[in-house]
Amino acid sequence: MEKILLRSIDIPDSHTLQVYESCGGYRALRKALKEMSPEQVTEEVKASGLRGRGGAGFPTGMKWGFVPKDSPKPKYVVCNADESEPGTFKDRLLIERDPHAIIEGIVLASYAIQSHTAFIYIRGELAYGAKVLEAALQEAYRAGYLGKNILASGYDLELILHRGAGAYICGEETGLLSSLEGGRGWPKVKPPFPATHGLFGCPTVVNNVETLVVVPWIIDQGASRYAATGTEKSKGTKLFCVSGHINKPGVYEVEMGYPFKRFLEEDCGGVPGRRQLKGVIPGGASMPVLRADEIDGVQMDYESMQAAGTLLGSGGVIVMDDSTCMVKAAWNIARFFAHESCGQCSPCREGCHWMEKIFARIEKGEADSGDLDLILNISGNIMGRTICPFGDAAAMPAAAFIKKYRDEFEEHITEKRCPLR
Amino acid sequence: MDSVKLTIDGREIVTTKGKKIIQAAAEAGIAIPYYCYHPKLSIAGNCRMCLVEIEKMPRLQIACNTDALEGMVVLTQSLKVSEARKSVMEFLLINHPLDCPICDQAGECWLQDYYMQHDLSDSRFEERKEPDRKREIFGPYVVFDGERCIKCTRCVRFLQEVTHTEELAVLNRSDDSTITLFPGKILDNPLSVNVVDICPVGALTDRDFRFKVRVWYLQKTPSICPGCSTGCNISVETYQNRIARFKPRVNEAVNSHWLCDEGRYCFHALTEVERLSSPLIRQEGGLVPTDWEAAFWAVLFGLAKAEPFAGLLSGRNTNEEAFLFGKLMKRLSPEPALEVVYRERELTDVEKILKSPDRSPNFRGARDMGASTNGGFETLLEGLLQGKFRNAYVIGEDLVSYAADKEKMLSVLERLSFLVVQDTHLTPTAKLAHVVLPSTHFGEKDGTYTNRKGRVQRLNAALVPPPGALHDWQIFARLLSDAGEEISYRTPAEIFQQISQEIPRYRGLSFSEIGELGVQTGDDRSHP
Repeated sequence: MEKILLRSIDIPDSHTLQVYESCGGYRALRKALKEMSPEQVTEEVKASGLRGRGGAGFPTGMKWGFVPKDSPKPKYVVCNADESEPGTFKDRLLIERDPHAIIEGIVLASYAIQSHTAFIYIRGELAYGAKVLEAALQEAYRAGYLGKNILASGYDLELILHRGAGAYICGEETGLLSSLEGGRGWPKVKPPFPATHGLFGCPTVVNNVETLVVVPWIIDQGASRYAATGTEKSKGTKLFCVSGHINKPGVYEVEMGYPFKRFLEEDCGGVPGRRQLKGVIPGGASMPVLRADEIDGVQMDYESMQAAGTLLGSGGVIVMDDSTCMVKAAWNIARFFAHESCGQCSPCREGCHWMEKIFARIEKGEADSGDLDLILNISGNIMGRTICPFGDAAAMPAAAFIKKYRDEFEEHITEKRCPLR
Repeated sequence: MDSVKLTIDGREIVTTKGKKIIQAAAEAGIAIPYYCYHPKLSIAGNCRMCLVEIEKMPRLQIACNTDALEGMVVLTQSLKVSEARKSVMEFLLINHPLDCPICDQAGECWLQDYYMQHDLSDSRFEERKEPDRKREIFGPYVVFDGERCIKCTRCVRFLQEVTHTEELAVLNRSDDSTITLFPGKILDNPLSVNVVDICPVGALTDRDFRFKVRVWYLQKTPSICPGCSTGCNISVETYQNRIARFKPRVNEAVNSHWLCDEGRYCFHALTEVERLSSPLIRQEGGLVPTDWEAAFWAVLFGLAKAEPFAGLLSGRNTNEEAFLFGKLMKRLSPEPALEVVYRERELTDVEKILKSPDRSPNFRGARDMGASTNGGFETLLEGLLQGKFRNAYVIGEDLVSYAADKEKMLSVLERLSFLVVQDTHLTPTAKLAHVVLPSTHFGEKDGTYTNRKGRVQRLNAALVPPPGALHDWQIFARLLSDAGEEISYRTPAEIFQQISQEIPRYRGLSFSEIGELGVQTGDDRSHP
C-alpha cells in the first residue's frame, strides 16, 4: 500500500521545509494556484471521496461547497488540531513530523473557499507540536507559501497558530470556534452552521489535521488515484492509533476496508503474553466497544464499523485483554466525560456525572440490580438531546459497556465487589 | 410579510416566516415549556425543555431554535416529547435542593410549575447532591444561590445583550458550572434586578423582597411605575395593604420586559412614610388637627384674596387631578401661575435604556391638562424665591428639597401670607403651611398618566388609603363645587371622559379603551 498520510514522516528532519520540498512538498499548491480555479480545487476534493477524519466522516469537498461564494463577510479556514479524544494521537504525529503538509493543506482549502485568514487551533497540551508548527509557519512565510501574493499568484493568506487552554470540548468544531473567538469553549446551537455562520459569525470551514494533510496529495496525484483506494464509500487511507494491551502499539496508516481482526493480530502483533482479547474500542473513547467475538469480519471503514454497531470515529483503537475489568473501564471513560462536559445542556451536564457516580458504585460493590437499567435509561435520555455530539459521545460507550458485558456488571453487583481485583 | 402554514398538535397554524416553532405555537395558544429561551435574549438552546417531535426528523428538536417552516408537522404532546421533558426535569432536579418550603422562589418557580405539569415522578437519584455556593451577594439588590441554579444563562445573556455591563459569567465546566461575578465587579448596574425577574428558579432573588412574604399571598394590580416619565408598566404587588414589590409588566411599546432598579424600589420612599390622619390648620403655636369642612373653608377663604399666587402640582398627580386643579385655580384667580414639578438629571448609557431624565411620571400629562402656565417649574421656583407670590398651593411635593439654597426657601415659604400643602405626610414644606390636607399616593388611586412620549396609561389603586386621607382629585372636586363650579364628573373615569371632550389630544379616548397597555395620544396616535 502506498502511504499517503505517513508518506514522509520517517525521513530525518521531515518537519523542515527543505526536506518537505525535496519530497515534492508545495508542488500541489503551485499547481493549484497556477493551473486551477478555486472551484476546481473543491471539485477535485469532492471527486476524491475524501471524508473528514475528525470523527464524523463528513465529505470534505461537500463541506467546502457549502460556503457561500457571494457572502460579503470574510471567510475562514480553521484547522482543528485540538486532538483530545482518549486513545487518539495521530494528529500529534503529523503535527510534529509533517507540519508543512498541514500548512499546504490549509492553503489549498483556503484557496478553494477564497479565505484570506486561516487558523490552526492546537490543543494546549501539545506544546512541542505548537513549537514545530510555529517554526514551519515562519519557514512557509519566508518562502512565500503564506502571506501576500503567494507564489506570485495574487492570492493572499494569513495563517495564525492558536493554542487552546485544555478542554476536550474545544475539539467540537463550534466549541472550538467559540474558544477561538475568545469566549468559553461552548458549542453553538445549530442552525446556523459554521459554513455560513462560523468564526465571528462568518462563513467558516473547520477541517481536521489528518483531512488537510490528504488534500495536497489529492491535488498533486489526482482525485481518481485517491478514489481508487479504499472501499466504495470510504476512500483512501486512515490513521489508526493503537494503544492498550497490544504488542505493537503506535500509529498505523491503513487502507480503508482492511480487515480489523487481521490488523490487530498481524499488523499490531496481537495481545501480549497468553492473554486473550476481551474487547476493543475502535474509534476513541466515545465510540461503542466491540467484544472480541464481534470483530470477525469487521473492516476498517465507516460503513463496516457502523454495521458492527460502532463507529470509526477518530481511529483511536483501544485494546483490552481479559485482565481488564470492564466496569472499571466504563467508569474511567464515564469519569472522563463527566469531567469534560461543557456544562451547557441539562442532560449532558447532569447526566454524565450521574452515570459516573453509578459506575463508581458498581465498581465498589455498592450498587443494586436496578442500577444497570438506570444507566441505560440515563444514557438514552442524553443521547440525541444535546446541542453538540458530546452527549452522544458520553452516552454511547456507557450503554455499550453494559450491554456487551452485562454478566460482568451483574457479578459486581451480586458479589458486592470487583471480581477481577 | 410571507406567511407559513404548519401543523402543531394536529392544528393548522399560520404564522409569519422567520418565527421559531416556540413562538408560532405560543401565538396559537400552545404552550411549549422552556427555561433558557427568552424572547428578548439570544437563543441559548441549553435547557432542552422545549424539545418537540417534528415529522421526518429522527431526533427531537428544540422548539426555541427551529424555524417554523411551510408544511412542517410538529408534535408537542407525543409520548416521545413528554418522556424527554420528564427526563430533562429529572436532570435539572438531581442536584437541586428540594427544600421548596424555605425557598423564596416557591410559588413562582418554573421548576415547581413544570414538575407539576410535566413530570410528577419520584427521583431515581440516590447519589450525593453536588454542593454549590449559597447566599452569595452579587450586588446591592441581588443574591445568588448556586445550588438552585439551572445554568440557563438568562442572567448572563441579559447582562451581555441588554445592559452590555457583563458582570456575570459562567465559571467551570460540567456540573461544576456555576454563575459568578467577574473578578472586581459587582452587579450594581441600574437595571440589575431584571436578572431576578428573568431567573426562572430561585437562584437569583431580590434582597429587598425575599423572605418578606410568600408570593401566593400577594395581590397583583397592573399599574404604572411612578419613578419617571418613561411610564414602565408594572404589577404592584401588595400584602396586608402594603406594597411588597414592583414587577415589570410586558409592554413592547414602553418598557418591553424590563424595569429599572430606581423605579422598582421608588415605592419605599413614596409610601413608607408616617401618614397624616386629618387635615391640619395653623393656629397660635402651630398646626392642629381640624375637620375637612373647616379645612376646605380655610383654603377657599385663604386663596380667594386677590393676591398673586402659585399652584404647584406634583409630577405624580394624575391627568384627572391636573385637569381639576387647573379648573380650580382658574376659578380662584384670573391668571394663576401653575406648574408641575419637573427637573432633569444626567443619565448614564445603561440608565438611558429605560429611564427618563426626570422623576415626574406625569409631567407631560399635567402639561396637556393645562397645568403649566408659568414657563416651567424652574421659573416658578425662581419667582417664588424672588417673592413674586403671596400665596401658594403645593401638591404632593416637598418644595424645600428642590431648592439649592434650602434656608432661603424655608424663609420664603415662611413669609407667604397663605400656604396650602396637600401631601401624604408632614414634609418640611408642609410644616410651614397654613393648611395641610392629607392626601393619597400613586398606589392608592385610580387615574391616568401620560408618559414622556405621549402614551396615556392607567394607574390603578392597589392599596386602601388610610382613614382621614382623600385623593387629590376628591379634594379638588370638593373645593371646585364649594367654590360654586357646577361639576357633574366625580370619579376618575368620569373626569377622564370630560378630558376627552375638552382636551384635543385626548379627544375620543375612554378609560376602558386605555386598557392595561395604554394608548398613544394626539398626533402620535398612528404609532401605537
